[in-house]
Amino acid sequence: MQLQEPTRPLPLHPPETHSELHSQATPKQAAPKQAVSKLDPKVVLATFSTIFLAEVGDKTQIATLMMSAQSQQPWVVFLGAAPALVLTSLLGVMAGQWLSKKFAPQVLDTLAGLSFLALAVALLWDGVLR
Amino acid sequence: MNWHLLLLSFTTVFLSELGDKSQLAAMTLGGSSRSPRAVFLGASAALVLTSLIGVLAGEGAAQVLPTALLKGVAAAGFALMAVRLLWPRPAEVQDEDR
Repeated sequence: MQLQEPTRPLPLHPPETHSELHSQATPKQAAPKQAVSKLDPKVVLATFSTIFLAEVGDKTQIATLMMSAQSQQPWVVFLGAAPALVLTSLLGVMAGQWLSKKFAPQVLDTLAGLSFLALAVALLWDGVLR
Repeated sequence: MNWHLLLLSFTTVFLSELGDKSQLAAMTLGGSSRSPRAVFLGASAALVLTSLIGVLAGEGAAQVLPTALLKGVAAAGFALMAVRLLWPRPAEVQDEDR
């Protein structure tokens, strides 16, 4: 019976981190960050599902629900809520871009990891433990 | 058109969403991604859809959606991403002999 010893731990990391960019093409070189103009459907889908799951039953949704029920004018509430939500995501993404220019990739990865950890805890607290 | 209600719902949602979880997620994803526009598109679509569900479902939404389960799934997803990002990578170990 042969046992294969793993020589190193599994490379667990998401494809989306800076450090992983161009890793196959240039393993040792820090390639310049290119402005990708085309929309990556995978990124859209991943973001969509993540945020959708996080936001369902959240206080914002409850607020729109209440306002619709009270006013009996759901479409007016939706027309007010939708641009507000689009604007907050725009601000969020812009803030993220700004931060990514200020910090080194490794620092960013750590910050992102901590931020996701905080989100996980907040969601657990919100939806499961309360 | 009820402008007062429109403005009220815009302000309420904008203020309650500012600095909220989804904005933090959009910030993190948008910062660590090569395609911030894709993140923006995905985030906006998801948020607009949740508010659409909220508006359409009315008071039945809370009973229809297994909120706790969905939040649990999302929490697990975020935890997984956190672990992947914080995992020490052997490839990135710097030369410390100098």
